Formats: sequence, C-alpha cells, structure tokens
Amino acid sequence: MKWSVVVSLAMLFVIAPLLPGIAAKTRARLTGRRGAPVLQPYRDLARLWRKGAVYSRDTSRVFRFAPIVLVATAAFAASLVPLDGQRAMLSFSGDFVAFAYLLALGRFLLVLAALDTGSSFEGMGASREVTVAAFAEPALFLAFVALVLATGNLSLGGALGGPLSQAWPGAVPALAMVTVSLFLVLLAEGSRVPVDDPATHLELTMIHEVMVLDHSGPDFAMILYGHALKLALFGSLLVGTLIPRAALTAPLAIAVLALGLVVVAVAVGIVESVMARLRLNRVPQFLTAASALAALGVILLLVG
Amino acid sequence: MILFFAGITSILLGGLGMLVWRRRPGLAAWTFAVLVGAGCALAVVPAIQVLAGGAAPEMRVPAGVPGGDWVFGVDLLSAFFLLLVLLVGGASALYGLEYLAPEARRRPVAATHLLTAFEIAALALVVTARSAMPFLMAWEVMAVLAYFLVAFDSEQADVRRAGLIYLIGTHTGTLVLIALFAFWGQFAGALSFDALAAAAPQLPAGGAMIFTLALVGFGFKAGLVPLHFWLPGAHGVAPSHVSALMSGVVIKMGIYGLLRTVSLVGPPPAWWGWLILCLGLASGVLGVLWALTQHDLKRLLAYHSVENIGIILLGLGIGALGARYDASMLAVLGFAGAALHALNHALFKSLLFLGAGAVQRATGTRLIDQLGGLERRMPLTWAAFLVGSVAIVGLPPLNGFVSEWIVYQGLLQSATVPPMRAAVFAVAGLALIGALALACFAKVGGAVFLGRPRTAATERGREVGGGLLAPMGALAAACVVIGVVPVLVVTPALRVGASIAGIGTDSASEAAAAVGPALQWISFMAFGLVAMVGAGWWLRRVLLRRRPQVWTETWGCAYARPNPRMQYTAASFAAPLVVAYGTVAGVQVTREPGHFHTHATDVVLDRVVFPLWATVRTWALTVRPMQQGRLWLYLLYLLGALLVLLLYLAFRAGGPGS
Repeated sequence: MKWSVVVSLAMLFVIAPLLPGIAAKTRARLTGRRGAPVLQPYRDLARLWRKGAVYSRDTSRVFRFAPIVLVATAAFAASLVPLDGQRAMLSFSGDFVAFAYLLALGRFLLVLAALDTGSSFEGMGASREVTVAAFAEPALFLAFVALVLATGNLSLGGALGGPLSQAWPGAVPALAMVTVSLFLVLLAEGSRVPVDDPATHLELTMIHEVMVLDHSGPDFAMILYGHALKLALFGSLLVGTLIPRAALTAPLAIAVLALGLVVVAVAVGIVESVMARLRLNRVPQFLTAASALAALGVILLLVG
Repeated sequence: MILFFAGITSILLGGLGMLVWRRRPGLAAWTFAVLVGAGCALAVVPAIQVLAGGAAPEMRVPAGVPGGDWVFGVDLLSAFFLLLVLLVGGASALYGLEYLAPEARRRPVAATHLLTAFEIAALALVVTARSAMPFLMAWEVMAVLAYFLVAFDSEQADVRRAGLIYLIGTHTGTLVLIALFAFWGQFAGALSFDALAAAAPQLPAGGAMIFTLALVGFGFKAGLVPLHFWLPGAHGVAPSHVSALMSGVVIKMGIYGLLRTVSLVGPPPAWWGWLILCLGLASGVLGVLWALTQHDLKRLLAYHSVENIGIILLGLGIGALGARYDASMLAVLGFAGAALHALNHALFKSLLFLGAGAVQRATGTRLIDQLGGLERRMPLTWAAFLVGSVAIVGLPPLNGFVSEWIVYQGLLQSATVPPMRAAVFAVAGLALIGALALACFAKVGGAVFLGRPRTAATERGREVGGGLLAPMGALAAACVVIGVVPVLVVTPALRVGASIAGIGTDSASEAAAAVGPALQWISFMAFGLVAMVGAGWWLRRVLLRRRPQVWTETWGCAYARPNPRMQYTAASFAAPLVVAYGTVAGVQVTREPGHFHTHATDVVLDRVVFPLWATVRTWALTVRPMQQGRLWLYLLYLLGALLVLLLYLAFRAGGPGS
C-alpha cells in the first residue's frame, strides 16, 4: 500500500470537522455577522469528548451502539474512495454499492436509536431522515451508473482514479450534470439547506438535529464527527468527479482535494445564505430533480 | 437418490407419528422432532454433494400412467432449491412444535404438524421431479396442503377469506401450468423433462407460448405484482411457522419453475427478459411501498416477500437477457444472483416471520402500533429480529448484501452489452427499493421493539422459550455466516447460474474468478466492521468508566412527564413517504384534530380483482335462471344439445362422411 493512500485518508479524518465550521463561517459572513471561529467544531468535539453522559431511561443498547456504528461505517466508506487521486485503500468491482450501503447501515442504526428514546420529536426526525434518504439514494446510484458508463470501470477506486480524466473531454455535458446532481445529494445527505437547516432552533423544523437530541457527551461527539465525515466523503466524491487528479503527484493531489473540500464547504455556506430551506413536502421534488439530472447524464452517456 | 428418499420417508414418518401417538403428545413431539430433523439432514446430503461438484443422481420409475416414466433427480438447480427447502422447512417445522403447543386443547395441532411434514416432503419432490406428471402432482399437493395450513384459525372470518383467495389464486396458477405442459407435450413424445427439453427447438416462435404460460403460472406462485393479491392475506393470517414456510420456501417454487423453464427451453426471447425486468422493478418498488403502509406486522412482512421476489426477478431478467445476447458473464451473474437471493430471502424472511410469531405469542397481538419496548422484555428475539432486518434491507455485513451486490453487479455490467444497456436504469430502482426497505424496517424495529410499550399486554410480554429461540438462532447464524464468508455460497450459486444458462462450468469459473477478489474484500469488510465497532464499544466503556452517567427521562422540550402515547407511531413514521407516493400507495389517510389514521388497501385486490369478480358475478346471475334443479329441464337441455350437434354434423360441409 502506498503511503499516499494512508496520508490522504488521515487528512480526510482530520479535516472533516473543519467543513461544517467553514460553512457556518461563510454563512455568518455573508449575512453580516462575525460568526464562530472556523475551528469551533474541533473545540465542540474536544469538550464533548471529555464529558460524562446523560441517558434516557427508555434507551437500550441500540442507542449506545449507533454512534459507534455511524463512525465505523463512515470510516470504512472513506477507505473505498481514491483520496490521493490514484487508488483507494479498499477497491473491488461494485464497491459503489458497498459505499452507499455502509452509509445506510450507519443511518439505520441512528434512526433506530432515535426511535429507541420513545420521543415524538426524535421519531419525527427519524421519519424525515428516512424519507429524504429514500429520495436521495436513486440520485446517488444514478450518478454512480454515469461514472461506470463514462469510465467502463466498476469500482469507485478505479473509476475516480485514472479513467475519469480521459472520459471528461468526450462527455462534458453528462458529467457536468452528474456533478450537479452529486452536489444536490451532498446537500441532502449532509443535512444542509435547502433540505435541512443545521442552524434552526425549533425541534419541529429539524431533521438530523432532532434525531440526535438525546445523545450527549462522547456519544454525541461521535455523531457530530461521523456526520462531518459523511459530508467530507460526499465532498471528496464531488471533488473526485470534477477534478480527476490521476496525473498529479500524490502530495499535490492531496492538497488539491483539501482545497476542493474547502471550496465545497464555502459553496454549501453560500447556498445556505442565499436560499431558504424548502417546505418539507417540497424536498422529494428537489431530490427527484437531482435524480432526473443524473438520469439525463446517464441517457447522454448511453446514446453518446 | 437413496439418501434423498430415505430422508423424505423419515420426514413423512415423523408427520405420521403425530397421528399414531395422538394420546401421548410428548412422545409424538419428540418423534416428530427427531424424525423430521434427521430426514432434513439426510435429504440435504445429496444436495450438498451435487453443489460441491459431485455427479447429479437420477432415478426412473416406470409409472404406468400416461406421460411416460416418472423421473426424479438432483441436478445443480434442484440441489440449490432443495437446500433452501430443507433448511428453512426443518427450522419452521421444529419451531411449530412449541409455537402451537399452547393451542393443543382447542385446535387440531397434531394434524397441523402432520401437514407441515407432508408439505416439506411435497416441496422437496417439486424441486426434484424431472417429469411433468409427478411435478404437477407434487405441486398440487403442496398448494392444497398450504391451504389447510393457512386456514388453521378457521373460525375467524378473515382467515377463511384469505384462505379462499389463496386457493383461487393458486388454482388459477395450476390451471395455467397444466395448459403449459399440455401444450408443450404436443411437441414431445413423453412428458419427462428430458423429452420436453429435446422438443424445445420445435416450439413455435422460440417458445413464446411456453414462456408466457410459465410467467403467468409460476408468477401466481411467486407472487409477483400484479399476481400477488392472494399473498399478503394468506401469509399474514397463517400460523407464524407456516408463514415462514410459505414466504420463505413455497413462493420460491415459482422462481424455481421459471428458472427450470429457462434451463429446459434455452435462452428466452428478448421481450420476455425485459418484461421480467419490468415486473421485477414493479414488484420491488410497489411491494416495499405497500409494506410501509401496513399496520399488521405479518402482513407487512408478507409484502416484503413481494418486494424480494422483485429483486430476484431483476436478477432473473438480467440472466435471461444475458443468455439471449450471448453475454455469458451476465447470464451467469443474473441467474446466480436470482438463485442466491432466493436462498437468502428464504433464510431472513423465515427468521423474521418466526420473530413475529414470538412477538405474537408473547403479547397476543400483531398490530405494530400496540407494541413497543420489547427489547427489554425479549432481548434474544430482538437480536434475531435485528439480524433479519439488517439482512433484508441488504446492508453489510449480512447475507442480503451479498446477493443484492451480485444483482447490482449484473445490472451495472449490462452497460457492457449494447442491446441491453438500458437495463442500467434498474440500478436506480433497486437503490430506491433498498432505501424504502430501510425505512420500513426502521419503522418495524423502532415501533415493535424499541421505545416504551404502548399497551398493558405488551408490557407483560416475556421472552419466549428455547423451542422458539433455537430455530431463530440457527437461521440468524446462517445469515451471518453467508454475509461474512460469502464465498461459501456464491461459488455454488455461480455454477447453478451457469447450468441454468446452459453454458459450461468454464463460464462459472470465469465468473467466480471475476467476483472472487471482491468476495474476499467483502469478508474483510465484514470482519473489519465488527472489529471496529467492538473497539469503539471498548473505547466508550473506558472513557465513561470514571465519568458521571445520569439516567433520566427522554428529552421532551422540558416536559418532564412523557408517556408511551406520546411516542411517534409507526403510521406517522411512514406517513411522509406514503403520502409522497399518493394513490400508488393505496392508502387512505384520515386527518382530524388530535387524530391521524391511515388505512392500507391492496391496490390490485381491492381495485381490480374484486370489481372484476363482481362483474363476473353479475353475468353469472343473469344466466342463473337456467339452473332450476328440475329433472325434465335438464333432459330438455340434453335433448337440445344433441339436436344442435346432429344438425351441426348434418350441415357441416355437406353432411357426414364427406
């Protein structure tokens, strides 16, 4: 295994909590506030990590396992993405499916944990979470199909590694559509405006936040970290699709990824400051649009 | 073959023991357990031998009835389905012993066990019969016995109704199958499968008629949309171990029949492959969507069988198209994916039904919104149910992931074969199915096992006994083993796939070489995931050892007296998804102040089958005055019919003899 694979993975693990910080800062600046420091998420994590825990009497082991599974599945999913632009730590034919289903396993446990508390708020959040996921999943898989069609390669490591740079010149419209679709999926999976709003104060209007109301201390730290890692993962899929880095040297490729992730975070912040979140019953339409875009990309690749 | 028939005999004897020792239930149960268990173990030996690469045994019996010799044999395809029949059948039958014991005074329990044993034997004969006559007979025995098993609680009106609809459905299917073999037999000298296969090249239009009849006849049994309408009712009301047997095994006979037809006739026409693919998508998406709307735990599981039949059909469709377009890799992957998902679904669906049975035994209800909080009361049942849930959603590291991955593999690889490239769109469908299944099992697990009990009866629920837990444990273990070491079953499944496609084992080894590295990674991923979660658990314990841990109420926005009725209900949980799909979901939503209610209907049964039946009934009523029950009238009818025939003969092209 090349050192660059390990280093890039470590970089992703370190940089992940930065992204929500950057997004929040961008949003604050664009709306005329100073905002919390960019490194605030790290401080939050450190403080939570040092705390004790408060548990609801109604909760069971599922509630305590869920944060661990969330982080473990996200970390494993990260090992499937070619972060240094060349290869992934784990790569096999059809690992797209493993990527999506590992994240789904984390979500499944988190949703069960929410229902475990017996709280109506958390039940509501869990219900919304699975609804959003059910509409986001087809878009994600159609984007994967487009990558397979464009590169003829059935693994994430293979498709995003080398062949995509050759595919871009011949399929600019299709791959551009896929990139946009991936960005929309990122907004949904990362619980961002216009699907969800991480800064809302009202339980009734939350999706992801309300689902984890009862977690505290190290458990909550793991959830925050796992969620940030998930955002970083979708970000690196996006950067990997838009900027194939196979031709670059490994250090440069890693640096480009880091920079790309920062840009993605800024973009998320910009989206959050220029648009309101959608009404909940509009979210399916928004994500269906993402699916439609990716499907158009697939059609273009099929006929082209 | 000797071992196979010895095993079947032992299963039958085990069933008869129930009748012989009717007055000594303890002894009867003991005999039943030993003989049925030993029978399943014996009969599975030839299946494992064949799957491991041994020669396929065959036996011919001169029957003395039309249709030629009766042939029985275990080839790769039979062996794979035999494995499924005996594993799940054995587990369900043994579970039934303790499950039905509390009702022994009120109901004919011994007869039910007897029928269960005979049902397993009939299923084993269906998959080993190599000739149309014994096949159809075993098929009919299987179907009729299943009716008696479903109608166990026959004093309840909804059970009788579900049983009747099942009987009508299954007999319509059988009728089509008889037509299938009668039509096919015209082109062949005998009705043995060899003779039928030899006659395949003479079939008109590449066997279009055969494939159509097979799709309808076997489709009824498999329960694909729109022929599924009998399934949720029957599987929902049957005793739980019977539901497990029916959802796990009996509906798979439809899949077996379709695969057998393909292996006998050869590559199906392209339209058939596309049709199967579309039906698979429809069954998958609609099945899981309808499952989401259900309030009855077992009906919900039954709709998930429709969904999983859809996933199996996706594999079957890819296999059929691959065989048609000479893409041997796709043919192998598609058929293998279908067979493997059939096995996996048999394991986790029967596990879930047995779990639902345990819940029903412990609490007396199957209504999801009356349950809750069973995790504390039934930890082992919950563990088994959770394994089944993760497996059915298709998540790693369990067996559902393995077979769905192979189906995905087939769908994605269809991009490499130009005429079938459009099949890649099914990937999005399968992704949607997976995400909806996740929502549905989050709803079930959360509402039934987590949170707080919603009724007093649920509060009193206690863990069930070892006789119920052991079969669940065995099935759960099988799910875990296949998920963690997939190579154990994938290699035989690929050989089965190659045999269905009628191509040599070379392409099976080729496919095995192609998926081999991936299987190793999947194993690695499974172990790694378990190790990481274990390490995380340990780390969390170390961290929290010296720190304050406070136990308190669930956060309710500072409301300190939450009660179980404040929990989110399963109906509300599913509502956003169900409402987003509108009329397709077939659900009636009632919203009043302080009250939210959803009522699930079956779109096909309630909007198509029943109106159709009402129309037929109206027509039938208009001709009913013909039947007066008077002898002279019938004599008149006879005379009239004879007269018409004579006139026909007299005027046909100038009279008789010409």
